[in-house]
Amino acid sequence: MTDNTPSDPNTVVLLKNVHLTLGSEAGPVNILRGIDFEALRGETVSIVGPSGSGKTSMMMIIAGLERPTSGQILIDGREIQDLNEDSLALLRRERVGIVFQGFHLVPTMSAIENVAVPLELAGRNDAFIQAKKMLGVVGLDHRLTHYPAQLSGGEQQRVALARAFAIEPKILLADEPTGNLDGTTGEHIIEQMFKLCAEFGTTLLLITHDPDLAARCSRSVSMADGLLSEVTKSEAPTARAV
Amino acid sequence: MSTIRLAFTYARRELRSGLKGFRIFLACLALGVAAIAGVGSLGQAIEAGLRADGKVLLGGDVSFRTTHAPVSAEQRSWIEAQSDLVSATVEMRANAFAVAKDTRRLVELKAVDDAYPLFGSVELSGEQNLDVTISNIDGVWGAAAHPGLTERLGIAIGDKVRVGDLTLEIRSLIVKEPDKGTQAFNFGPRLLIALPALAETNLVKPGSVIRYFYRTDLPEATSPATLRQAALEAFPNAGWRIQDLENAAPNIQRFVDRVGSFMTIVGLTALLVGGVGVGNAVRTFLQSKIGTIATLKCIGAPASLIFYTYLIQVGIIALLGIAIGLIIGVLAPLAALGSFGDSLPVEGQFAVYWEPIAIAVAFGILVTLVFSLWPLARAKTIPGIALFRDLVAPVSGFPGWKAFLGISALAITLAGLAVFTSSQPHLAVRFVLGSIATLVAFWGIAALVIRGSKMLPRSRRASVRLAITNLHRPGAATVGVVMSLGMGLTVLVAVAMLEDNLNNEVSYALRGEAPGYYFIDLQNDQVQTFQDIAANADYAVRTEIVPMLRGRITSLKGVPVSDITPPAEDAWILRGDRGLTWTAGPPNSADSIVRGDWWPEDYSGPQLVSFDAEAAAAFNLEIGDKIEVNILGRTIEATIANWRQIDWNDLGINFVMVFSPGALQNAPMSHIATAYLDEENELTLEDAVVRTLPNVSAIRVKEVLGEVQVILTKIATAVRIIAIVAVIAGVLVLAGAIAAGQKGRIYDSIVLKVLGATRKDLVFAYGLEYGVLGIVTSFIAIILGGGAAWFVITRVMEAQWSVSAMPVIATVVPALLVTVGAGMIGTWAALNKKAAPLLRNE
Repeated sequence: MTDNTPSDPNTVVLLKNVHLTLGSEAGPVNILRGIDFEALRGETVSIVGPSGSGKTSMMMIIAGLERPTSGQILIDGREIQDLNEDSLALLRRERVGIVFQGFHLVPTMSAIENVAVPLELAGRNDAFIQAKKMLGVVGLDHRLTHYPAQLSGGEQQRVALARAFAIEPKILLADEPTGNLDGTTGEHIIEQMFKLCAEFGTTLLLITHDPDLAARCSRSVSMADGLLSEVTKSEAPTARAV
Repeated sequence: MSTIRLAFTYARRELRSGLKGFRIFLACLALGVAAIAGVGSLGQAIEAGLRADGKVLLGGDVSFRTTHAPVSAEQRSWIEAQSDLVSATVEMRANAFAVAKDTRRLVELKAVDDAYPLFGSVELSGEQNLDVTISNIDGVWGAAAHPGLTERLGIAIGDKVRVGDLTLEIRSLIVKEPDKGTQAFNFGPRLLIALPALAETNLVKPGSVIRYFYRTDLPEATSPATLRQAALEAFPNAGWRIQDLENAAPNIQRFVDRVGSFMTIVGLTALLVGGVGVGNAVRTFLQSKIGTIATLKCIGAPASLIFYTYLIQVGIIALLGIAIGLIIGVLAPLAALGSFGDSLPVEGQFAVYWEPIAIAVAFGILVTLVFSLWPLARAKTIPGIALFRDLVAPVSGFPGWKAFLGISALAITLAGLAVFTSSQPHLAVRFVLGSIATLVAFWGIAALVIRGSKMLPRSRRASVRLAITNLHRPGAATVGVVMSLGMGLTVLVAVAMLEDNLNNEVSYALRGEAPGYYFIDLQNDQVQTFQDIAANADYAVRTEIVPMLRGRITSLKGVPVSDITPPAEDAWILRGDRGLTWTAGPPNSADSIVRGDWWPEDYSGPQLVSFDAEAAAAFNLEIGDKIEVNILGRTIEATIANWRQIDWNDLGINFVMVFSPGALQNAPMSHIATAYLDEENELTLEDAVVRTLPNVSAIRVKEVLGEVQVILTKIATAVRIIAIVAVIAGVLVLAGAIAAGQKGRIYDSIVLKVLGATRKDLVFAYGLEYGVLGIVTSFIAIILGGGAAWFVITRVMEAQWSVSAMPVIATVVPALLVTVGAGMIGTWAALNKKAAPLLRNE
């Protein structure tokens, strides 16, 4: 496919022939070897594959946290591969929420402060009001002033979830969000995540090793050796990896 | 295996990973120890030089000195009988006129005999021999001159100068004079002539301020102390001053002691500031070891094992830092002597001096323990799981009573060591108290900043709010930054304001109310001539003329001076000769009498004396007490009639003692006069006086004050260099505080970038954070440093206090820039880190 425009006006994520090569002492390492990917508004897409296949790298590129060696990336209709750092930060601020396996909360900020940060960066006067509301949505309105070290793993991930959804993102990137949690806790997190995605119409890109979790998404792609190699169709609107 | 042995084993294993994280610790400790060892070693090097060169500096084993008149023939015979050899010299001030030019200069004239110098040698230009230089060749006496004289007169070797009635030929220039160093201050360049030539000058008049020196080379069997005692017994009323090798150069000794004390105190400040850095480094180190410590505790390690394991590591690293500091400190005098050794009157003796080394080691160990035991003891006492939450929910900071008492005892020992090793214990006590107050003040300010920033209303701008919350968030660098920078900056501000005030004091005197001239050695029959010159001048000139003699206080209230330990600031009154005068009528301002009454103008009863009020209070002298003064070999007893308040700052004629008319009226004396006139007429008056009265020495006050200003500037520069050591220590600690938080800052920056913060947001936030800290710290340093300077100027030096903005700005602005700059360097490094590697799942 050589057309530079999304094939569907509802496309929020489009990757075209994206390569990522990193240097190492042993020589260049090809992480991504020509990825073509598209995700539509409201879709939930799982990305599966073995460790080291390039899943996280692809997610970092979509988030603007890693620059591709070559290729084209469009996020919500905007090309980002040539944007500078500040522009990428603005993009994330407005449109992208991220949930990590390791939570990555600021350890010296309380729960409400962590959630308020993206809203404050966006210049919202009601940042703390919204943050409190989001923490209530995830069931943590009794832990507003607690620091991450004072919260359990599940609670920390809920804070991270609240933070990611505080800006009502167009896209949510979740990199093994339940990897550090037990089964029951993880299930609750996933439930909340899907519920919020549905509520806000957020496109979800979910990296997971869990096939059951992968199956909950509207579609699934498989990464191996830096290539997206498999697409399984579902009842959701069509999307493709070409 | 015993706990201690196990602790050594674990400590050794942990130290295998290197000294990463301890570089600032090492630098802080090394700098402070180097400062103390360096200053102490330099002081000892100079003192060793004084001892080694003692005989040369003094000019003999023992020196007898009289003023106004030589020793009697009997006294001279006695001295010669006790000695292998005696050298006699005479010193006075005189005017030297260039014969072929219309130039003249006040000189320090020195007439020497054939035996001079007894020790050392006079170095002259062109390898001339002194005897030949100053001898009489074809009826012309020769002289050796300091290069400053020939330059000023615009003459060269071979040219002639006139001194009094004698014409001299300049045959050589003085390169080095062996016994010059004992004189603190000179009013003119040296002119060296032969003793027989002095008589031909006709300048030796009764009452003239002339000093006669008799230096002895003693037999081996005779000690200086023995001779001194024998002299006191043989001539109990002799008016001479006896100096031996113990006090060969008291002025230099005092100067070395005082400057050395001050510089040691500044070095201690650097070490104290470094101590804050040591404490920060240990705290950060233990923070990084939380996992290890918690694991050890979880698997059964006793608290004492944890404590000793990390104490041993801290101790080993501290010893390394101390060793580095000692090497620098021991070698520093070599560099210092090489750089400015020529400016010193003695040759410093470079060597390894164990006393300052031992003192520096003791300080280094004590500072390490005082600042590191608290975090070590805390790590020992709090439960393992709490360690993981310690950053954000610290368990009570109290490490237990045993540790608290131990740390307190060590802190008291540190303070005691500072006091007892100082040659000025009172100053050291004030320093210790001041340091404690300053540390507490800055800690308090940091706490106020934290509290205040929490109470501020939330800003709408994210980067401003981030900056404000960074001030009080758990683990914030606020306390470290404020304390590290604050101490050093306070010292620097104090030094800058002291220097400015001292310069203002001199400038004030130069500008206004000080007299233009002192004219000394006016003879009785020259007073009218002098007054006529002033009266006949076609410009306004006001003069004051008083008789003057020199005498030495020998007892107060019946107690010999040798048995009195005077307060340090008043000791000068009992040391050596003092100028004194007599008068019938009261001083011009009756208000200056603060106790007692002035004698009637026609008083002719027993000798009375008016005494300086401050000195009288210091020596506990009351109205009616008796003092004894030796004048020209005669002991005069006088009763204190009143206390007189003297303002020394006006530089007018003032005397500690003013006598009633009586015995002094008939003593051989000269007169001293001051002249107040516009600057543009000064040289005209000087010319008229010295050409008419060539024996009169004219001392131009502005020139003297100018030289004082130069000396003050040099001293201030040297002191400021040492003060900068304290600031460097502060910068190191600041760097340490920033480095300690760097990992967290990088992580926070990356997470904030993930959430959409731009570089500009983060740079602004961190810049504002450090800017606020820098401004607050600078403000407090100005108050504390200014307060210290005010105290010294008004209470110690009793001078006028003035405030200028420029020295403060020049000191504080660079410090502010350093604070913000250091913070921004750390921030920039954080912003340049790539996000992906830190965010990847492990």
